[in-house]
Amino acid sequence: MIAPILLKIAVEALWANRLRSGLTLLGVIIGVTSVMTIISALEGMMGAIEEDLAVLGPTTFIVTKAGGVITSHEQWMEMMKRKPIDQKSVDLVSEGCELCERTCARVGGSARLKRGNNTMRRVFIGGSTFSLVDIVDMEVAQGRFHSYEDDLYRRRVIFIGDLVREELFGDADPIGKTLRLDGTKYTVCGVAKKRGTMFGESQDDFAFIPYGTHIKQFGAPGRRGIQMMIKAVSLERLEDAMDEVRMILRAQRHVPYDKPDDFTMLTADNILEALNSLTRIFRMGLIGISSISLVVGGIVVMNIMMVSVTERTREIGIRKAIGARQQHIMLQFLFEALVTTLFGGLIGIVLGYFIAEALVGMLDMQISPSTFAMVAGLSISTGIGIIFGLYPAMKAARLDPIKALSYE
Amino acid sequence: MPLIETKDLWKTYTMGSEQVHALSGVTITIEKGEYVAIMGPSGSGKSTLMNLIGCLDTPTQGEYYLNGKQVSTMNDDELAGIRNREIGFVFQTFNLLPRASALHNVELPLIYNGSASADRAAQAESALTKVELADRMHHKPTELSGGQRQRVAIARALVNNPSLLLADEPTGNLDSKTSIEIMKLIDDLHKQGNTIIIVTHERDIATRAHRVLSILDGQIASDELTPENRRTVG
Ligand SMILES: Nc1ncnc2c1ncn2[C@@H]1O[C@H](COP(=O)(O)OP(=O)(O)OP(=O)(O)O)[C@@H](O)[C@H]1O
Ligand SMILES: [Mg+2]
Repeated sequence: MIAPILLKIAVEALWANRLRSGLTLLGVIIGVTSVMTIISALEGMMGAIEEDLAVLGPTTFIVTKAGGVITSHEQWMEMMKRKPIDQKSVDLVSEGCELCERTCARVGGSARLKRGNNTMRRVFIGGSTFSLVDIVDMEVAQGRFHSYEDDLYRRRVIFIGDLVREELFGDADPIGKTLRLDGTKYTVCGVAKKRGTMFGESQDDFAFIPYGTHIKQFGAPGRRGIQMMIKAVSLERLEDAMDEVRMILRAQRHVPYDKPDDFTMLTADNILEALNSLTRIFRMGLIGISSISLVVGGIVVMNIMMVSVTERTREIGIRKAIGARQQHIMLQFLFEALVTTLFGGLIGIVLGYFIAEALVGMLDMQISPSTFAMVAGLSISTGIGIIFGLYPAMKAARLDPIKALSYE
Repeated sequence: MPLIETKDLWKTYTMGSEQVHALSGVTITIEKGEYVAIMGPSGSGKSTLMNLIGCLDTPTQGEYYLNGKQVSTMNDDELAGIRNREIGFVFQTFNLLPRASALHNVELPLIYNGSASADRAAQAESALTKVELADRMHHKPTELSGGQRQRVAIARALVNNPSLLLADEPTGNLDSKTSIEIMKLIDDLHKQGNTIIIVTHERDIATRAHRVLSILDGQIASDELTPENRRTVG
């Protein structure tokens, strides 16, 4: 086997030209690091979103007027023309759907919260029936969520997010205290457990009031309509529960049998899928951009290899004169390129991971090493080595021994 | 069967519109075990002929048989194989790898014929011993004198036990005392049975050989045995 000894010769040559090899390495490292940073950060962000969607639970689905992946303007216009989901729909589903364990109506908008001199503007205020707390994974830290009675009697009670508590009440116990929602007085009934931040945004600046109370203060939901959150009796019956709801709503909305649904049903899986296809586009774009830096790295490799081949013309002549075949010379130089790019690739993968971790850390998320990123990184760097090392290596292999020996 | 047989060898270089005939129809035969010197003025085509005989180059026209095999039509890799197995080449400028030790330089031909690592080291050491450089085998060329460098080059040429040892002005870069040492070594190699062809400008080096070929303007001008040999033959 000649290959191992050629590899050894290649490594020795790289070592003998440490400075030059280091510069080549740098070119590769920059390219691979930028691609790895992007892949790792995207993987990490997707992971975080997946985790976040887990609060919805696998058996819960959402029914809204419009949503999901919108791929065209026509689709968007069609969705905008749809009739909103109304109170009647909620009632029909709660009464008629056998496989639905709980059904909850949700409306929402933003409003101003005020207590004494502390004001918070543009806080998300949701109106929902009491069962929301059982459907989504929203944990109660203090007090309670609103009850069936609160909803029925349209009581002015409010369940607040942790950031609202902190801004308006500071260290004081908020339970039973009052605050003003767009000027109207509400009593705090409970506080949600802190959820932290995502993409640098707090997940705790929200408040929920009973559904009826919301309607009383802000009026009927209008064209945006109501969002229904429904929990199926079990994971196995999820599809059936969705079908049941579909039949009820199609009947209520008089959808002809040959027309598609004029509303959207989403499970956590659907949402994830939509997100995935979005990030896929995003990812392709970013990888495309950072591939440019890879190409630059590749050109650095090729450039330095060309210089190296020219400078070592005599060495190549000597090797050929004593019987090296073309493939031997070619392998020797290809090994030099490959060792450089693989080594650079490894460093790039590690660096990229740490940079991605730091970046994603700024958004309060965590990433874990991704096999996909590593395999991608290694194949990319091997690819660069072969693609950009091949031409100089072939040039070296084809040198004429006499000309190479007399090269000054 | 002669070791070397050339038939009407031509080597023509085209320089722009002009054609330079470095060799114009060389026909020679050299038997196994011969010791041949090639002489001639500068530019007469000595190196060109050596490079053709050594399979470093291919003729523009004509036939060349080495050990009965037609080599003038072989491709680059086949010629590399011949150079590796059949030919040991010694150059005026040594042509050693500057960063490699003497031992590694001598090992090189063995690497390309696929010898195992242990055999390589042993063979290279014994070749270096033959040229009396066993004690310098870990030195790099820059740490050796000109004569020692040429000894390393000779060891490298011998390491594969080639059928033919070619030396193109091997003493051209050496002082007269070192030249004599190197020539003694080459004489010894001939006595041990090697076939040797040497290019030289110096008559007293040429007379060490048994046969002198004179080249003039790319053609063989004379081909005669040296006086000593005429006597032994006669
Ligand atoms: N690559 C080349 N291109 C053009 N002409 C060449 C080339 N190589 C050799 N020649 C010409 O061929 C002729 C023979 O050259 P060669 O090197 O064989 O001479 P030589 O007898 O070895 O001379 P010296 O004693 O100076 O080494 C010369 O005229 C030279 O200019
Ligand atoms: Mg010459």
